[in-house]
Amino acid sequence: MLTDIIKAYNEAVFETDKEAAFLIVDKALASGLTPEEVVFEVVIPAVEEMMSLITKDPDANLAQHFMTAQIASEVTEAMLAKFHHPPEVIGRVVIGTAAGDLHSLGKRIVIGCLKSLMVEVADLGVNVPAERFVDEAVGRNAQVIGISAMMVHTATGADGSLKVRRILRERGLEDRIKVVVGGAPYRFDGELYKTAGADAWAADGITAGRVIVDLIRQAKTP
Amino acid sequence: MTPLEILVAAATGQPAPRIPVFCNLLDQGARELGLSQKDYYARGENGAEAQLKMLARYGHDNVWSLSYVGVEAEILGCREILFDDEGSPNVADFVIKRYDDIAKLEVPADITTHPAWQRTATCMKVLRDEVGATHAICAYITASTTLPAILMGMEKWMELLMTGPVDLRDELLRKCSDFCAQELAAYRAAGANVLVYSTPFGTTGFVGMKRFLEWSLPWMKMDLAPGGVDGIVYYCGMAPFNNVIDIVRTELGIGVYYISPLADLAEAKALLGDRALTCGVIDDIKMIHWTPDQTRAEVKRMIDIGKPGGHFLFGTGVMPLAVPEANIRAMLDASFEYGRLP
Ligand code: B12
Repeated sequence: MLTDIIKAYNEAVFETDKEAAFLIVDKALASGLTPEEVVFEVVIPAVEEMMSLITKDPDANLAQHFMTAQIASEVTEAMLAKFHHPPEVIGRVVIGTAAGDLHSLGKRIVIGCLKSLMVEVADLGVNVPAERFVDEAVGRNAQVIGISAMMVHTATGADGSLKVRRILRERGLEDRIKVVVGGAPYRFDGELYKTAGADAWAADGITAGRVIVDLIRQAKTP
Repeated sequence: MTPLEILVAAATGQPAPRIPVFCNLLDQGARELGLSQKDYYARGENGAEAQLKMLARYGHDNVWSLSYVGVEAEILGCREILFDDEGSPNVADFVIKRYDDIAKLEVPADITTHPAWQRTATCMKVLRDEVGATHAICAYITASTTLPAILMGMEKWMELLMTGPVDLRDELLRKCSDFCAQELAAYRAAGANVLVYSTPFGTTGFVGMKRFLEWSLPWMKMDLAPGGVDGIVYYCGMAPFNNVIDIVRTELGIGVYYISPLADLAEAKALLGDRALTCGVIDDIKMIHWTPDQTRAEVKRMIDIGKPGGHFLFGTGVMPLAVPEANIRAMLDASFEYGRLP
């Protein structure tokens, strides 16, 4: 039965059909699955499935990324409220848009994916100063700072991720806190993340989930 | 031949001494005049002066009407633009903050009477008088399906598009399409001869094939129906669209395609052949760190693909300010050299 549920749920996500996805989740709960099982055996594998599908499918599109993230985070949130014990988070991330940049869609997709992967995410909003990225990461004990930028000048400018890198170095935090970047300019130049002083980048929200989980593992706990 | 004649020759497959070369220098204008971006964009005369100066210095084939995309939002009520001396201006105030605002959104009956249009009009008048007969004058027009992104932000627009309500979405699109058609007409009347129709939602990388066919295509038809496709360039904000080229050519009849640097240029050229003008577009984000030699090599690679059989233009995207002068020079020198025709 679980395999049927998983199959139906995956189809709904692939077709960007949120209503259908929720109907399947309701049915699964009614048939005796626990909220924990829904998250760990249906939702997370579905995000992972989408990761590999979208990477392979040349026709994968923004709408699918958006809806995968949206459905996964909404279902996860609904299930978390019903969990018997608070779930074990695998890590913590602070994410925002670089100083001078007001674009929020990319960040939102990334957040949606991370939530459903049991990563705790704090959304710092748009136009975030470098100091604040670091302060919030330290304050929240986060392993990763995620910085989204849609324009070249906010991606590689002096006030963005380069400044975050400088502050981390000055404060001796580089081992503990990793920097990941993403957004349109990085997709045109796969090397740009180095210019931006980041440890990694991801081309889309779903890949971002995987890259960030890897970085969390690399970050040394103090 | 004048640059305009060279462009027309490339589009129609007539003989010419070389391929046309577009270099889109928008934000560079402020630097050219030694002004802040904010002061630069405040007066239409500035745009014209800077474009003409850069044209004289580089010798490429096109100029741009004074434009940052936010002007469209300003005409529709946006009150704040974020200027940044390191890059492009950005819309900082969303006209549509809540769904209720969609009903209140008003498209002026005549956008050319709006104060925000006056700078554009001033700039266009100078350009038309100076180079209208000899050069390409480009204008940027956002398609109805993309305009909501600068009125409410991509995030809210994607949400409305994907999850409805559908009647609200369509009400917004009708207004945007009306605006788009008006803007196209206004630019044509002002003397623009190259109309860059910006339509990122006209790719399946944004919405998928089904939605492209059932939703994007009909709205694009609506945008373009009143004025026709003369001078229209299919441009998707540099997103790839090879897989819909054939459909767009057949269904919309557009004659010029601005191919993404992320797409296979040879494939695009093969798809279009002599049915339309293929524009090979260099990855100007990579030009930030390339050497002049690397830049030259890339220009050569692209022109080797595009030039055989004609119907080819070499161009740039929205050239980032961070691209070094030496690379702009190297790119232009190389494109004139390799773009020479027998
Ligand atoms: C749609 C689009 C537009 C639309 C909507 C803009 C808007 N307000 O949102 C319109 C047509 C209005 C537009 C206008 C402009 N645009 Co525009 N636009 C695009 C386009 C095609 C897609 C951007 C987008 O929304 N993608 C969808 C989002 C979700 O994708 P994303 O941000 O990349 O996010 C994904 C990944 O990058 C990743 N990710 C994102 N953030 C993060 C963070 C982390 C930590 C990680 C790990 C991953 C990650 O996951 C996300 C989800 O999958 C890009 C080119 C392209 N093909 O990408 C150009 C592009 C961004 N635009 C560009 C420019 C220059 C502009 C303009 C300034 C000028 C112009 N004439 O085009 C104006 C500015 C308008 C304004 N804001 O005031 C340039 C920017 C580069 C530069 N030169 O600085 C680009 C790159 C095109 C180009 N190559 O020239 N644009």
